[in-house]
Amino acid sequence: MLTEQSAYTTRWRSVSPVAKGFFSLCGMVAAFAAGSPRTALLIALILSAATIFGAGIPAVRYLRVAAPPLLFLAASGLSLLVSLDFGSPTSAASLHLAESEFPRIAQVCSRSLACLTALLFLALTTPLSDIISLLRRCRLPDTLLDLMTLCYRTLFVLSEVVHETITAQSARLGYSTFTISLRSLGGLVTNLIVQVWQRSLTLHLAAQARNNDGALRFLENSFADSPRNISIAATAGGLTVLLAVMLP
Amino acid sequence: MSDSILKLEDVSYRYPDGTRALDSCSLTINRGTRTAVLGANGAGKTTMFLHLNGILRPSSGRVCWEETALDYSRGGMRKLRSRVGLMFQNPDNQLFSASVREDVSFGPMNLGLEEAIVRKQVEEALLAVGMTDSADRPVHNLSYGQKKRVCIAGVLAMRPEVLVLDEPMAGLDAAMQEELTVILERLHTSGMTIVIATHDLDYAYGWADEVIVLQSGRLLANGVPAEILLQEEVQNKLGAIPLVAEISRSLSLIGIDLRDKEYLPRSKSDLLKAIAAYTRLEATP
Repeated sequence: MLTEQSAYTTRWRSVSPVAKGFFSLCGMVAAFAAGSPRTALLIALILSAATIFGAGIPAVRYLRVAAPPLLFLAASGLSLLVSLDFGSPTSAASLHLAESEFPRIAQVCSRSLACLTALLFLALTTPLSDIISLLRRCRLPDTLLDLMTLCYRTLFVLSEVVHETITAQSARLGYSTFTISLRSLGGLVTNLIVQVWQRSLTLHLAAQARNNDGALRFLENSFADSPRNISIAATAGGLTVLLAVMLP
Repeated sequence: MSDSILKLEDVSYRYPDGTRALDSCSLTINRGTRTAVLGANGAGKTTMFLHLNGILRPSSGRVCWEETALDYSRGGMRKLRSRVGLMFQNPDNQLFSASVREDVSFGPMNLGLEEAIVRKQVEEALLAVGMTDSADRPVHNLSYGQKKRVCIAGVLAMRPEVLVLDEPMAGLDAAMQEELTVILERLHTSGMTIVIATHDLDYAYGWADEVIVLQSGRLLANGVPAEILLQEEVQNKLGAIPLVAEISRSLSLIGIDLRDKEYLPRSKSDLLKAIAAYTRLEATP
């Protein structure tokens, strides 16, 4: 929801998604082109600065959105760093710090971090409906995009249903003890499955009523000065990649 | 002169599970009229609406557009559905895209119109329901009433001749009902035929040119509200009488006749005006 809110309120809402998508792509290319962890970290810094200062996403919100993937990154970094050894003759199992692997792990983690900031840039500045129409222009299969459109819309409808059901269950003491909670949760899931099924039927009727015969077609948003935006994004993206290649 | 636009001729419909939802229904909807369809839950209102848009096909009988039986071929349905716009009761069950403008464009895009034309029709539809300012907002941040307006815009963008709305007022607060009434009135003035299903007797009595009363899938009555809704049988089945009609009748029992050229007030404001006029008449010697 935070990502969603940012994408709709950012300063760069009216900037063409092509421009933002291209800059994000350049960021990822730069992340892979970076020769050292230091360069990758610099790329990450540039991309997050573009998101925070350029697009005007509050730093606190940026960190909150970034926190879960960062946790994953930290966990995987740690698991790469430490290895469990069962073959030691002195004890049953022992932990080893893979010191020799350190440069490689630093490289992987810094690169992932830079990729993450590139993706966050796109996610925090572009609403999903714009991203979907961008992907449509990139000739991604229609079925996949229709699924994305419906999932995205249904996500909000169903989260409301879940919220209402939980409130209604709590109002009748549905979550008062552990056993009752489990039963209520089961009821919630069952109810949700039935609702999804019913809603898919009504959605199909509604599509028919508006003359639909298969693929979901929508008007794409037009963006005022996209040639200018795209050239700015291309220059900025190009420079980022160049920086990554030039630096050791 | 009556000018039939949609007609049901002896239509019956059974759902696959055997439920008889419509039973030998014959009725006519005239061009440019405002029709209210009344009936208890499960009376067959929604089933009837699904027939008007060609989504359901009668088990027996036929549905006609301008006196010609519907053509259920792909091309025929395409034509019918661009002429008869259908809006369902729950907005969350019919909004496909998370973006307002995108969703409104869904119908015209399905008609295969050119992009410039779609864009124009979408903007006009948004303007007609007063949602232009919210066109770039995500659907899930809109209020229930705004979602309903987006649904109406989605249908209007297809430029239909008939607008069929299933309980458009349900779940709306008084202010939003008033806004929707204004929108419907504007559409009616522009020549659109409007059919709504409602449980609100008072609204139907004041708004509609014609009412259709359904009872367990059968047509109970069809005609001018001032006649139909005052019939005893209809009152018994619907369990109520429009409040304005009841007040006028009670007043007439104590000798206050609010009739203006044989015409009883139909809305609250009409009633208040009639009472004020009557009081003035009494005051002048």
